[in-house]
Amino acid sequence: MTYGWMGTILRVNLTNEKITKEPLDKQIATKFLGGRGLNGITLFRELKAGIDPLSAENVLLFGMGPCNGTLSLGSGRYNITARSPMTGGFGDSNSGGFWGPELKYAGYDQIIIEGRAEEPVYLWIDGDEVEIRNAGKLWGRDTFETEQILKEELEDPRIQMLYIGQAGENLVRFANVMTGLYRAAGRSGMGSVMGSKNLKAIAVRGNKGVGVAHPSKLQEAALKAYDILYSDWFAQLFSEEGSPCLVDIYNNRLGALVTRNFQAGVFEGAEKILGKYFDENYKIANKGCFSCPLHCGCFYMIKEGPFAGLRWGKAEFATIVNFTSRVGVDNIEVALRAGILTDKYGIDLISMGGVLGFAFECYEKGILTPKDTDGLKLEWGNGDAVLELVRKVAFQEGFGKILSEGVKRAAEVIGKGSEDYAIHTKGLEHIECDPRGLQAWGLGYAVSSRGADHLRALPAFEYTISPEKAKELYGTEKAADRFSIEGKGKMVKWFEELRAFADSMEICKYITRTGLLFPEPLVEMLNAVTGMEYKPDDAFKIGERIVNVERAFNVREGFSRKDDTLPKRFLEEPLMEGPSKGHVCDLEPMLDDYYKFRGWDVKTGLPTRAKLEELGLSEIALELQKMGKIPPEKKTRLEEKK
Amino acid sequence: MKKILMVSPQLCTGCRICELVCSLSRDGECNPLKSCIRVFKIKEEGIDIPGVCQQCESPLCADVCPVDAISRDPDTGALIIREEICVGCRACSMVCPYGAITMDISKRIMIKCDLCGGDPKCVKFCLTKALVYDRPEVLDTLRQESTLRSLVKPLLKSRETATIKKEKTK
Repeated sequence: MTYGWMGTILRVNLTNEKITKEPLDKQIATKFLGGRGLNGITLFRELKAGIDPLSAENVLLFGMGPCNGTLSLGSGRYNITARSPMTGGFGDSNSGGFWGPELKYAGYDQIIIEGRAEEPVYLWIDGDEVEIRNAGKLWGRDTFETEQILKEELEDPRIQMLYIGQAGENLVRFANVMTGLYRAAGRSGMGSVMGSKNLKAIAVRGNKGVGVAHPSKLQEAALKAYDILYSDWFAQLFSEEGSPCLVDIYNNRLGALVTRNFQAGVFEGAEKILGKYFDENYKIANKGCFSCPLHCGCFYMIKEGPFAGLRWGKAEFATIVNFTSRVGVDNIEVALRAGILTDKYGIDLISMGGVLGFAFECYEKGILTPKDTDGLKLEWGNGDAVLELVRKVAFQEGFGKILSEGVKRAAEVIGKGSEDYAIHTKGLEHIECDPRGLQAWGLGYAVSSRGADHLRALPAFEYTISPEKAKELYGTEKAADRFSIEGKGKMVKWFEELRAFADSMEICKYITRTGLLFPEPLVEMLNAVTGMEYKPDDAFKIGERIVNVERAFNVREGFSRKDDTLPKRFLEEPLMEGPSKGHVCDLEPMLDDYYKFRGWDVKTGLPTRAKLEELGLSEIALELQKMGKIPPEKKTRLEEKK
Repeated sequence: MKKILMVSPQLCTGCRICELVCSLSRDGECNPLKSCIRVFKIKEEGIDIPGVCQQCESPLCADVCPVDAISRDPDTGALIIREEICVGCRACSMVCPYGAITMDISKRIMIKCDLCGGDPKCVKFCLTKALVYDRPEVLDTLRQESTLRSLVKPLLKSRETATIKKEKTK
């Protein structure tokens, strides 16, 4: 395996400080590629059901893909995987930046972290030399300070790092892992798993290259892909405004922008949080992750007022919306400041927005009073309270301690009917796009293996393609109608497959939100790098295999159809105004449709033996059978005679 | 007239595609350490600076080379290190004003930009035009124009505001 894959897995046991290097199983690599796929099957094999996600028994996986570190587009990403402390199911998060490629250059495709260090430590990977070092002086520091201290200690600007902030140390359930100051592996609480292991940071320096089987073919494929990318209106908009351009699309065009904890889908103060407004008033440069021609990262600065001079390398759609419309704030600077805080403390800002919206609505409904909130007046639009709560959550101070567990657990503590305002699926807070205006997105949130999340499916075609194209791809023109439930089962399956494939190549989702979504250009790059001969259809097969492994993991933890659901608000309360007025998410028939296309049991949502075996996952079928999750194999009469 | 490779740090997004395509076309693998162009980052300020040889008119590297391994390509004007002669003494890297000569750690000899024989790959793959390759008088004019344009931005802005006000009063 000289091309694409580095061929080595690094296993680090923090309890006994044993460091071992294992060869990458070529068959597994061929079947799962790497990154999310490789991590998925590894997690299934390494863990047994029911362990405490925040105990030494959990493992923390860092996975790279075969294209990481090469000219392949957007190949700077990596996946972190563990059992999630938020959902209790499959936990997984993906981040950009420059760390993933550097780990490839150091010679590894995956890191498996086991056990728990007695004292805070960090991992220093200098190519072949790997060392567990004391992190005493890093503990208690935010991510920005951690980067500065480590940079000074290790003395090489080429070194790439990832780390947790105070939130991860304090086991805030939705703590994230930050990479290179501005990039976050945000969702499903991977930062708290890292914190529970007393692992503060991983610093990497490599000195090898990633072998490419067909160098000139890769160059041709990349140039062709740039053309496809930039012929797409979405990429043009994104390369200028970054993801904040989505505010306009979700608010003005779709009427599906989270507003006051999803009480509405249009925000009256949207004008001053638009991507265009951000671009004109704050952005000073476009920045790209590794090998990315889209460069959607916006370096910005507040130019006037009391916070003039404040600058940071990232403000996403999620940064802006979670701290503005979600809590009724119409001042973008509150969001920019809160975004810097969440990045520094190491908090997933989507879940943070979720707990804020929840708390503010409980306050509005009288469930919470200033007595419960340490005196904070959680009135919609109170930006100071937003900023103060971010800090309180990071340090688990007072009322912040309750919120630091996520909305599901917070509602259990608060009671008094507050669970109606806890907007989550499987324990993970929803993202900013309202599924009442986007039926396929609703289905995607419900069935996502890591809880309410848009990136598992990201069925953007629901509102971007023509009816003719929808018929060609999903068998019905209605699939292009965002209010229709027809064709959505097939659409979500189709998207989930391609997203899982891209996550395993470790290619960015914004790159593949364009014409590069289709497998042909991706497979062309993959083959040029690895020298393998994958066909475009293999992308769907690999994706399907990955989705089934993650499903099986969740089934082993007790999940089934009953968990593939949405908050009551999305299912029963129609949106009152805007372009999605009058709609709810009609989930159940879409679920039937989806399971049918998946070849899973429609009643229970469990994968079937036939499907698992078709995908070459017999070991998983056997394990689920032992647990009584799938029935034992029925032998035909003919077989019995034999 | 020989062309030059001009760098505009203000247009660089820091994606490092130039490093990848350079090492890929030279060595068949993606390895930033084997690239003749490298992007340096001031992350805290969002600044990225690609460092690459500017093919000096009076090259110090060639002057100090004790074995005369560095000579100018008559067609492209690029200063070329001849692998078979280079002894890896690093004298050239000591005097380079851009720090643009580095050591290939597997071959143990010095490497630098050779302009890919007159068709630099990094330029071809740089989508924001932070790297461009043309005759110096053309590039100097372009740079001068864009610098001066940014100087008059406030003036243009005031005219725009006046136009909007006029339209509103209609």
